[in-house]
Amino acid sequence: MTHMHIPDGILPVWLWLAGFVAMAVALGFSFYRLRGMDTKKMIPLLGALSAAMLVVMSLPILPGYHINLTVVTGILIGPSLGLIAAFITSVILAFMGHGGITVIGLNTLLLGSEAVLGHLLFSLLKRLPVFWRAAAATVVTLFITTMLLIGIVAVAHLDPDVLHHGEEHDHAVHSCGSVSTFAVVVLTIGAVGWIIEAAITGAVVRFISQVKPDLLGHGLHRSSKK
Amino acid sequence: MISVARIDHWATSGNGPFHRASALAKFLFLFLVVGSALTARSPYPLMAGYGLILVVAAASGLPWARLVPLSLYAVLFAVLYGISIQGGLLAYALLVFKAITPSLALLALVVSTPYPRIFSLISTVLPEILAAGLFMTYRTLFILLDMMDNFGVAIRLRGGFSPGSLAKNSSNIAKGIGMLLVRAVERAQRLYAVMAVRGYNGSMAQKGAEGMRREDWLPLATGLTVFMLAIMWT
Repeated sequence: MTHMHIPDGILPVWLWLAGFVAMAVALGFSFYRLRGMDTKKMIPLLGALSAAMLVVMSLPILPGYHINLTVVTGILIGPSLGLIAAFITSVILAFMGHGGITVIGLNTLLLGSEAVLGHLLFSLLKRLPVFWRAAAATVVTLFITTMLLIGIVAVAHLDPDVLHHGEEHDHAVHSCGSVSTFAVVVLTIGAVGWIIEAAITGAVVRFISQVKPDLLGHGLHRSSKK
Repeated sequence: MISVARIDHWATSGNGPFHRASALAKFLFLFLVVGSALTARSPYPLMAGYGLILVVAAASGLPWARLVPLSLYAVLFAVLYGISIQGGLLAYALLVFKAITPSLALLALVVSTPYPRIFSLISTVLPEILAAGLFMTYRTLFILLDMMDNFGVAIRLRGGFSPGSLAKNSSNIAKGIGMLLVRAVERAQRLYAVMAVRGYNGSMAQKGAEGMRREDWLPLATGLTVFMLAIMWT
């Protein structure tokens, strides 16, 4: 779980605007990569997997922590469609009050990077059994994206006016030490969560490889070109 | 998250002034409230804005008593972020109201606007694949939520959940999620086949923004008031 539940008005304007710009560039690149595919067939598939991500996100496995299925989504539908699924999920989450509207761009980048990295790592670790391939890809992916999340929070605090525009100086924000506290909390909860998420992701991917193995070879993509 | 089905019921069953206002006016209302959260320098205008939206929601027949706990859901995550800052009581109050005031506005929008109208408006500014993907996701979500509920009931009836047995429970949950994914993909394939037979051309949601209506004054006036409070009350 590395998307941000940060409400509107907290992050500096330049940061969330940059998130939207970077998201638009990443989505544009995804559309470019998908230009040869049958988009009509992709839409029901996108909807099904994005909805599955949302359903699984509603199952808390630790207090304040839920799994995402973004790595599984990346493995099943590839990085380009995975990024689009991340956008769809982020928009619907924002409309359910699960994070602000202004952080949709940054959340899409974080969730999308999980799908992209998960897909790449799963493809690279071919020598491992399928459970360990998926589990290792999940742990490494979640570690990287959690560091990205901490980086975003740290960068947000570089703007001294982030939260307390008009407050008195004696109430001023002291963020340097507290970002490290945030990092410790997130990494501590995260480390436990990554292991649980890796175990569930590994078991899910192994289950799919036993029940419907063609899904792991992007058979849907190939058949969509017919 | 889990209240999606209930939210959809409220959106389609009400007939108050907020329900009758156009989706465009309610989106403008939402953007004005988000704008107030962006510009507010003190928690007080956002507190007043929260109260105003609550009064308008109650007067419009929206389920305001249910909306309050749903809007407070955002506090949990604001508090997690709050760990990363050290400020006075006012700073934390500002953080909390920056979370819950736009959240309440968003809830007022979604419980008074059926999702085809929301996605119809969104489709005017997004590429087709994104707009149609959003529409399809929302439509599929309810089916998958039901499937997951049925799976939970089935696994309990068959003794699949054992208190204290983390490994067994995790394994069963993973199989349930795996089955959910497989069925979601199979369902998408069947749905595509059905839609293709019915002449589906890649466009899902009805496109275009609705025209403005007489009832639009309520969300617009509420949004403007909250925004003006945030600008003027520093």
